[in-house]
Amino acid sequence: MEKGATICLRGTEAGATAQALAFRLIELGRNAERIDEDMIKRLGGVKRAAFVCGLLSRNGVFAVVTAPDIRPEGNVLEMEVDEHDTPDFAAEKILDELAERDLLRMDGVQYTPEEEEAIRKRLADLGYVE
Amino acid sequence: MAGRKAKRILVVGLDCAAPRFVFGPDRFDLPNLQRLAAKGCWGRLRSCDPPITVPAWACMTSGKDPGVLGCYGFRNRRDYSYEGMVTANASSIRAKRVWDILSRKGRKVVVLGVPQTYPVRPVNGWLVADFLTPDTRADYTYPKTLKDELEQAVGSYLLDVKDFRTNEKAALRDRIFALMHNRFDAARFLMADKPWDFFMMVEMGVDRLHHAFWKYCDPRHPKFEPGNPYAQVFRDYYQALDARLGELLALAGDETAVMVVSDHGAKAMQGGICINQWLIENGWLGLAEPPNGRTRIEDCRIDWPHTRAWASGGYYGRVFLNVEGREPQGVIPAAEYDVCLNELIAAIEAMPGPDGRLLGNRALRPRDLYREVNGVPPDLFVYFGGLDWRSVGAVGFDGIYTFENDTGPDDANHDFDGIFIMDDGTGRKGEELKGLQLMDVAPTILELSGVAVPEDMQGKVIG
Repeated sequence: MEKGATICLRGTEAGATAQALAFRLIELGRNAERIDEDMIKRLGGVKRAAFVCGLLSRNGVFAVVTAPDIRPEGNVLEMEVDEHDTPDFAAEKILDELAERDLLRMDGVQYTPEEEEAIRKRLADLGYVE
Repeated sequence: MAGRKAKRILVVGLDCAAPRFVFGPDRFDLPNLQRLAAKGCWGRLRSCDPPITVPAWACMTSGKDPGVLGCYGFRNRRDYSYEGMVTANASSIRAKRVWDILSRKGRKVVVLGVPQTYPVRPVNGWLVADFLTPDTRADYTYPKTLKDELEQAVGSYLLDVKDFRTNEKAALRDRIFALMHNRFDAARFLMADKPWDFFMMVEMGVDRLHHAFWKYCDPRHPKFEPGNPYAQVFRDYYQALDARLGELLALAGDETAVMVVSDHGAKAMQGGICINQWLIENGWLGLAEPPNGRTRIEDCRIDWPHTRAWASGGYYGRVFLNVEGREPQGVIPAAEYDVCLNELIAAIEAMPGPDGRLLGNRALRPRDLYREVNGVPPDLFVYFGGLDWRSVGAVGFDGIYTFENDTGPDDANHDFDGIFIMDDGTGRKGEELKGLQLMDVAPTILELSGVAVPEDMQGKVIG
């Protein structure tokens, strides 16, 4: 099973970065859940939320936490979001970190079969391939 | 030069720009390029193996060789099955490129049209992807909002030249010029509108021009006809490009370090070697049924149990062995791989040309070329006649030499040396540098930026 983790984000742009990060993780084929203050209330408090984060990460999900005072169990990454970074770029840096730690494969977006064939024809016209 | 640091860095990439027209005896009058070279330093820039746009720009901007990157050309085998060549785009490049590194150091970057930047990934700044974008309906900019801004500023953003395979040369010439102007218009807009510390652009029109018009412009081309109407198109293009470069240099200002680079050069193409035809005639490749006229190898039914090797075409050749336990119907026992490969290398390198003299082919093993060999490399790269000849993968020819390109007009092949010009403000006064290679560019950019060069970058700092 793939490994998950709890990613605790701090900083003024943590919320927007969490959203961008969750989106990118899903784009990369992984499951991600945002744990913000609303979610903590729904879960019944920080202790329960911490337990849920551990449960999620043990089951290959990334729990992206933007609430303070939560002490998740299990595999936890604490990250400070640079206030100068756009949320997308900050998310990209976090993805790098996850890839470095072997928690994520960055396979990237592939062409659709139609795009692949259109580009192959274009490259053949240009002489690069046949 | 230790301790050198530039306030800003501008890198202008001219895909396929040839030293001959910029520095050499056939050089055109290019005041901006030649002023840069005269103030700074310059030289030939040895490309990677293979010397082709993909992966050359990725090697240049990551400081890593194709084997480390696991990318050996525009299309690579996905695995060792017989199907599934996939096109390499940004997703194929895991290594950090200079703009990724600079972004993470808080520098503002602008990246425009650099090959293998689609699909886009966030940077600390702005990115406009390259001609491997499917079309302009795709998200080809970072951030997404840049697309509208750009299209408002320059009109339609031209990814590449349309209808390249045409004999209507006047219209093609005009489209290549339009591509160049469109790219420089985009560069001018971004340079003026966005704050940047590092700006890199690549202009593809030079490559398109060379391939489409070489026989018209080079008296040494076998098909050159004196007095043809396009004899000056190279001069006109390089000069127009030089003028546009001058605008960017003025915008960039005197405190910007400038590099002008190309990923490889170009030369006259003498013809094509039908490599799969040769493999058939020499007992390496079997077809289940004869081809019906000229046929792409991909459209042939290959008799795999009677095939030891097959190849793909392009500006250079790639040969693949059919290995037992590796390919689904492999026939070469793994223990005989090297013996077989050496036999094939010897045969390819002994190949004569149509005049009976040795062609001067080189057949190279990836493990001899690269620090590591990742992904699925070909078993051999082949440069036919020192790249005087392209590799033709189709079969059904009478013989192995062809003087017509099977996909349409193409007069030029790539050459191993591109150009390097740098003015870093240290007053090199036109120093010619020797021994430069593609992977030196990334460490040089980082050093100029005052950023530590990662230890795994393979080039050296220039200067």
